[in-house]
This record gives sequence, structure tokens and C-alpha cells, in this order.
Amino acid sequence: MTREEYLAAIRSTLQPLPESEINDICSDFEEHFAVGLSQGKTEHEIAAELGDPAAVAETYLDDELEDIGHTMKESAVHAAAVPAVKAPAISAGRPAEGSTRTAGTEKDLTGARLFVIFFNLLFAWWAALSVFGVIISFWGASAALMGGGIAAFAGLAAAPGAWTAVLVLLGIAGITLAIATGILNFFLSKWTVIGCRAYVKWNKKLYNEGF
Amino acid sequence: MNVQFKKGVLDLCVLSMLKESDQYGYELANTLSEIIQISDGTVYPILRKLATDGMVTTYLQESQSGPPRKYYRLTGLGKRTLVSLQQEWLTFSKSVNQIVGGDIQ
Repeated sequence: MTREEYLAAIRSTLQPLPESEINDICSDFEEHFAVGLSQGKTEHEIAAELGDPAAVAETYLDDELEDIGHTMKESAVHAAAVPAVKAPAISAGRPAEGSTRTAGTEKDLTGARLFVIFFNLLFAWWAALSVFGVIISFWGASAALMGGGIAAFAGLAAAPGAWTAVLVLLGIAGITLAIATGILNFFLSKWTVIGCRAYVKWNKKLYNEGF
Repeated sequence: MNVQFKKGVLDLCVLSMLKESDQYGYELANTLSEIIQISDGTVYPILRKLATDGMVTTYLQESQSGPPRKYYRLTGLGKRTLVSLQQEWLTFSKSVNQIVGGDIQ
């Protein structure tokens, strides 16, 4: 492998990293070749001693991922598959030297943003409406049960003696059911709020950082 | 040599080699790969990580033969880390040797 081939191989594996960092890393290997050549070695010998360029370059990616944390791993892998999409610049290295690939260092967010907008308009909005509708009607049902129970007790005074037992039973049953369904509704509402918050957070992340 | 063995100790080796004098990438890589069976290229990611973590700083220096070279120098943090890593390694390797050597039954 020649010097050029070796550097090209390093570059292609490092694609997910910002351009400035790739140049910085490559300059170390350029120096290594230069020193080796000045000591009388051939490019092929130096390349062989350096070892598999892809394996060497992957070590940089692993280190980088460790630093940024797990969330970035997906975008780096994604970026490796789609060269136009790049992870945001992490550290400023030496300025790019005669760079031919300065374009496309910013991550393209258009797709993710369009997805967020249309997903919400076409689907999420209606799903949210129906979920809220169901919860409101559940609360309505609980309120009706409570009202019925209270009405049954209120009716005790006016009702003839024979109805007393029936009204007391109805009253107890109504209020008990109202409390039971109320507790269920409370948790249902709480989970919905939690779900909504998570959904909004996910939306924001997608909108600002992409897939 | 076993990759898993190397992983943890190469940082320590590089830090130790920089303890006596500043060195540039090529000579570090050459010396290290002569002693331990690794490829020269392994050294550069380690040096970069050590620089990111603030263990070493770099400076460029002209040379009589060939291109200017990037030298690596231990920082204060690097020196302190080296001392504690050295201690850990000596204790750890002693214990492992005892077990592997069969002194513990």
C-alpha cells in the first residue's frame, strides 16, 4: 500500500468525524510517513508497519464515541452510511488544509424536520385528540356516578319507606364506583401527561438534532 | 499478542515512555512496537486520546533531517495519572502473576 492509498483508507473510515479532526489525524500519519521515508524506508514498508488502516481509524471512532456518549453512536453510524450527513463538529483541530470536502459538514436536518411536521399533522394530532376525548368522557362517567349516588341519598327524605333500602344501596354503589373509576382516571391522566411530555421531548430532539 | 491484554496497558506504556523525555510520534511508535508486538499505527489514537484527556500537550519542532515533528509532553495531570496508574499496575500485575503462576491454591 502506498502513502496515498493508506491515507485515503484512513480518511474513508474516519468519515463520520468532522473534517478538521480528520485532517488533524491524517497529519499525524503524513508525518509518520515523512519521517519513515527520511530514514530510508519505502512507503510500502511504512504502511505495513502501521497496520490495517481501517482498524487503526476505527480506534479513533471508538474513542470519540466513548467521549460523546452513547446517543451519538447512531448518528455516527448513520453518517458513515450517508457521507453527506455528518456528526456535528466536536473539537476544533488545525484548520483544514486544502480541503476538498468542506461542504456537508453541517448535518442535514430537513428530512427530520419535515417528518416531525407531517407526522404531527397527519397522525399525532388526531391520536392525541381521541386519547384526550376518551379521558374526558371517563371523567364524565365518574362524575355522573358520583352525582347519581349523591342524588340517591338526597332522595331518601322524599321517598316512601319501601324505597329506603334500594336508595341506600344505589347511593353506596354510585359513590363507590365513582371513587374507584376516579382513581383509575387519575392514573390514566397522569400516564397520558407523562406520555405527552416524553413525546414533546422526542419531537424537540428530532427537530433540533435529526434522526 | 492478545488484543484484550494490550488495550488497558498501552496508555500506561506511552505515559511511562514520555516520563523521561518528550518524544515524537514516530519514535514512540517504533520503540513501543519493538518491545510489545503492536503495529505502529496503534500509538496514534492513544496519543490523541491522551491529548484530549489533558494528559499530554503537543508542540511542533523542526528537525535536521526530514519534516518538523509533533512532540508530546506530559502535563501535570499526566504525571499524576502516571504515578497512580503505575502503582495500580504493579499491585494488579503482581496479583495476576500469583494466580497465573499457581502460587494461590
